[in-house]
Amino acid sequence: MLVLLIGDLHLPHRAASLSPKFRKLLVPNKMQHVLCTGNLCTRETFEYLRSLSSDVHVVRGDFDDDDGAKYPDTKVITVGQFRIGLCHGHQIIPWGDSRMLELLARQLDVDVLVTGNTFECTAVEKNGRFYVDPGSATGAFSVIKNSPPTASFALLDVQSDSIVSYLYRLIDDNVKVDRVVYKKPKN
Amino acid sequence: MVENSMINVAEQEKALEQATRIVKSEAFEMKRCLDKGKTMDALKHALLFLGELRTGDLSPKFYYRLYMDSINELQQLETVLIDEFTQDSSKLNNLYECVQYAGTIIPRLYLLVTLGVVFIKCGLGSKKELLKDMVEMCRGVQHPLRGLFLRNYLLQSTRSLLPDSPDGIGEKSARDGTVSDAVDFVLINFAEMNKLWVRMQHQGPSREKEKREKDRMELRILVGTNLVRLSQLESLNEEMYVRDVLPSILEQVVSCKDPISQEYLMECVIQVFSDDFHLSTLNEFLAACGQLVPEVNVKNVLIALIDRLALYTTSSIEGQSAAAPSKMELFEIFSAQAKDLIKNRPDMPMEDVVSLHVSLVSLAVKCYSDRVEFANMSFLSLRNILEEKGVESIEAFGKVGRELTKLLHIPIDEYKNVLKLSELPEFLKVLNYFDYRGKCNTSSYIIQNLLDEQTFLKNDQEIQAVFQLIEALLKEHAEADCEAEDFAEEQNLVARLVHMIRADDVDSQFLLLNLARKMLGEGGKSRIKYTLPPIVFELYRLVLGYRDQKDEDEKWNAKVRKIFVCAMGTIGALVSTAELAELPLKLYLDGAMTADKVPFDENHVVVYEFVSKSMSILEDDVADSRDRVRCLQLTVGALLQTSNLPEENWSPLASQCALAAAKMFKKPDQVRSLCTVANLYWHGKTKETNGEMLKNGKRVVEILRKAVKIATECLEPVVQQQLFIIVLSAFTYYYEDGCQEINIEQIEELMRRTQENAVQLDVSAEADSLERQLADAVKRLKLAKLEKHEVPVTPSLEDCEKVEEEQA
Repeated sequence: MLVLLIGDLHLPHRAASLSPKFRKLLVPNKMQHVLCTGNLCTRETFEYLRSLSSDVHVVRGDFDDDDGAKYPDTKVITVGQFRIGLCHGHQIIPWGDSRMLELLARQLDVDVLVTGNTFECTAVEKNGRFYVDPGSATGAFSVIKNSPPTASFALLDVQSDSIVSYLYRLIDDNVKVDRVVYKKPKN
Repeated sequence: MVENSMINVAEQEKALEQATRIVKSEAFEMKRCLDKGKTMDALKHALLFLGELRTGDLSPKFYYRLYMDSINELQQLETVLIDEFTQDSSKLNNLYECVQYAGTIIPRLYLLVTLGVVFIKCGLGSKKELLKDMVEMCRGVQHPLRGLFLRNYLLQSTRSLLPDSPDGIGEKSARDGTVSDAVDFVLINFAEMNKLWVRMQHQGPSREKEKREKDRMELRILVGTNLVRLSQLESLNEEMYVRDVLPSILEQVVSCKDPISQEYLMECVIQVFSDDFHLSTLNEFLAACGQLVPEVNVKNVLIALIDRLALYTTSSIEGQSAAAPSKMELFEIFSAQAKDLIKNRPDMPMEDVVSLHVSLVSLAVKCYSDRVEFANMSFLSLRNILEEKGVESIEAFGKVGRELTKLLHIPIDEYKNVLKLSELPEFLKVLNYFDYRGKCNTSSYIIQNLLDEQTFLKNDQEIQAVFQLIEALLKEHAEADCEAEDFAEEQNLVARLVHMIRADDVDSQFLLLNLARKMLGEGGKSRIKYTLPPIVFELYRLVLGYRDQKDEDEKWNAKVRKIFVCAMGTIGALVSTAELAELPLKLYLDGAMTADKVPFDENHVVVYEFVSKSMSILEDDVADSRDRVRCLQLTVGALLQTSNLPEENWSPLASQCALAAAKMFKKPDQVRSLCTVANLYWHGKTKETNGEMLKNGKRVVEILRKAVKIATECLEPVVQQQLFIIVLSAFTYYYEDGCQEINIEQIEELMRRTQENAVQLDVSAEADSLERQLADAVKRLKLAKLEKHEVPVTPSLEDCEKVEEEQA
């Protein structure tokens, strides 16, 4: 089961477009679910995600208020044996605080917590839970980052008791892929 | 035989079935005779089934099926006869004589053609003479349908036999003929077939004209095949084509005065013969176009020719024979022709005029990439016509509009660089003939192309040029519907365009962004909310990129300040003109975070200004209580990103946040917001703390205790429980983090109350979830207490469970 994690596109506020290299990779109907960490900002971007999969979940990013769409702050999606929590992350104060993230994961009672807002593509396991941030798919500019942005998204291959996550980053206009495996701890 | 075209399909089916049955059974008999070696008898049976082709009851479609069945059988006969006579050729003459005496003409001619082919294939007699004989004797059938099919059979069965050697002297060419004989043969057949085909139009009652035209369209390919055959002759050279072939075809086409025939055959000539041939005969061909009857849509013919030659890549045009026009002349010839055509046909519909220009522009753009003025000339000529005819506005989705869209897309698609459009001054003038919608659509198409092709705007001329092309999207207009979905889509495209502005250095980039801001600012209230935010972000990107050049530029401080002033003013327009609240609030906060990162003189003043502006929006313009909670949350989040505000600036901002939290309209919102604000006093960093966190435990505890007090006042049990757990988690968080001011007894007191509450809650999914969260909070607290004494390296739930087990 393939789950696309994508977010912080910030079109058109902070980026001109999604890279053609990414568009080529994101083939319709390959991914069963699309989980979006928010900041789609426009209806067109939502429609684009809808063209990739019929099952699209979106949570509210800090710039999602203007297109009339009312997305929830958090969402929990069950995929196979895994509960996956979804939240943009600007609501977690201080931003990116790992203890607060862990608290949210426990509150939502999820195996995997997907958040955005850092503009950095990461996947780490902590205390038996898996934390993924797909970064910004357009490599949108962010004032909280010190380095120039890197466009990225993540793909989860959800198996029976493990998840293989693939992190796609666009570096010098070439797609680089990293792989991180998460095994569900035996209760 | 009376032609009765009113016979319906069912009857046709029946007639066909009957005829086919006879064909089958007679063919069967024919094959039996062949097996027995009784050739003469076999021919008699062949004559019998061929007799079915005399029918007048079938429409072209059904007649075709009968014809196919019959010639399949004839081919088998041909194969056997060839087999037989390659062994003993003496009998063949005999057969030929006999067939001559067959009573009816149709079967006789089919058989004679078959035998003629056998003769040629067996190498008997002169091929040249035989072919000539056959094509002449077919004149005997003057009925259009039957004649066309008979001649088609002749053409098909001699396909591989036509002499195709260059003209010359010699015994072999005298006997077998040369390519000239093949040309004569096909041209005669072509002329005859065309006459038959044209004659069809004039047979039968006039009320069936439409049906006849349909029938004729179905048969056109039979006539066209002659031209295909000519084009397949390898020895047919340019000289012969110019001298004999084309003049003969054109004479036939022009003299028949039949619009269907003329339009089809002219296009056929264009399609089947090579580009070199066309180039050598351009004038003759175009002259013939001028002589076609008025009903012919010459525009289609001309377009077909232009499109054909536009595909012919330019390099190969040079160095052709003297007769061929030079590459440059080609465009001029076509332009002149198009002009004449339009002039001579004043009633030509406007969409045809435009579509003729589609071909011209396409020729100009594709073949003359180095001569931009050619494309411009075509646009100019169209504009002149539009002007002459007094056209005022072209509807986007009308017939003319659709052609115009095609026309305008050609240079956009071909150049793959919309900046090149500025070399076509007439492009814009033609574009401006569109109505408002048409202009908007083309503008969107231009931006989309620019984004897809990654065309960056590097200087003010380029920005001006593109903005001029997309002006329809930039200015207020009475017809614009700002609520419509495509309005938002179009403005979002304009917004994306802003990110394509890229000058080489910081100074120029700033000037360009200023210019863009000024131009976009003219779009008014409904547009700037889309188009100005990208300007603001580009300014922030610019200033952050400029941060490290402090030592290289002595005016660095002033320039940085200027950029921030520009950003602030741009956001100000979103507040005052667009009357927005949340969006500018967020942009101010981003400005504060940016300014904090750039170490210019007194940057804290700018940071403070940004935050205070955002807070006054929160105070005055955000009404909805949920929005207020969210905006405060963002403000706290942003403030925590700064670390250079002096205490004297930080403190009022932090208190203002605490005040805003306490002033929330709903009590639960007050509790949540207070817990958020407490973060400021713990995690906050000021200039004085030098990158360390404030860790003002006293204030944190004060705020959290206030939160507890308000939570206690909430009467709804589930809500109260939610709030207790939030505050509990917050206390635990700071306790874990070593906040000395937190009194563990106080937390445990709150914990007990929360646990008591839990028992009272009605059963629900929410209550279950709260139960779980409470259990988690209890665990965390126990673990934290343990940590106070033992200081384990990494606290985790597992440790916590161990503690529980020990205690049990």
